[in-house]
Amino acid sequence: MNKQEFLQRLHDALADLPQEERQERLTFYSEMIDDRMEEGLSQEEAVAQIGSIEDILPPSTNPSAPPETVKSIVKPSRTLKAWEILLLVLGSPIWLSLLIAALAILVSIYAAWWSVIISLWACFGAFCGGAFGGIVAGIAMAVSGDAFAGFALLGAGFVCAGLSIFTFFVCKAATKATVTLTKKAVLSVKKRIFEKEAAV
Amino acid sequence: MDVQLKRGLLDVCVLAAIKNQDSYGYKIIKDLKPYLELSESTLYTILKRLEAANMLTVRTAEHGGRLRKYYHITVQGLQRIEEFKAEWQEILSIYRFVTKEDETRE
Repeated sequence: MNKQEFLQRLHDALADLPQEERQERLTFYSEMIDDRMEEGLSQEEAVAQIGSIEDILPPSTNPSAPPETVKSIVKPSRTLKAWEILLLVLGSPIWLSLLIAALAILVSIYAAWWSVIISLWACFGAFCGGAFGGIVAGIAMAVSGDAFAGFALLGAGFVCAGLSIFTFFVCKAATKATVTLTKKAVLSVKKRIFEKEAAV
Repeated sequence: MDVQLKRGLLDVCVLAAIKNQDSYGYKIIKDLKPYLELSESTLYTILKRLEAANMLTVRTAEHGGRLRKYYHITVQGLQRIEEFKAEWQEILSIYRFVTKEDETRE
């Protein structure tokens, strides 16, 4: 495998990582290959010395890694003493309910935030409907003879159309930001759990 | 070997490799080779960890028509090496105590 093929495969294997982190890893390995080639090795030899793609993947993206990480989580480095276990069991009605309550609060805040976004989209839909209805009804009324009411409705329709465009951009930005933040939060939680023990 | 102990040892080894002079990835691996086999992926993880802990800084410099990253040890990094030396003295005295127990039993 030459350098280009190696970096392309690594790039594909790191697809789950954020762009910046992926680029940083690619630069690191590219430099490692270049340094070996500078010592007289061929591209293929230099790539072979780096090892297989699977070996150099970070634990979070390595399909063969989870069993190892799970093993290290299941087998903690420090075992609990008897009195600690007893305290944990006896205290469970307090800490468990507090933990569940804290989780419930977090989930409800998250759900409330999404409901705000859904309401914004509903506003956008309402403005679109208003714009369409106002313009159509306005034209119909103006044609049928009631010019004043027709123009008033037409005006209201245009106002709704303007507002719908504005609301669309607000909704889009809010949805995008929420999705990005959710992804980041999930990734950081995943990282904390899986890379804590295995990152040596 | 205990994971935490191994992690600490590797960190200090990498810091020692850049202690006297700024160095780059491949050179660090070569310099440490007589003492331990360090893979690229392990080195990458260690360098990121040390950078996050402000024990080293990274700069990019041109070399032979391409860019290469150089790692520079910080004051915190030097302190970590000193701490390691002190800790190791304690571990050595514990080791001597543990092996002495074995000798008396024999």
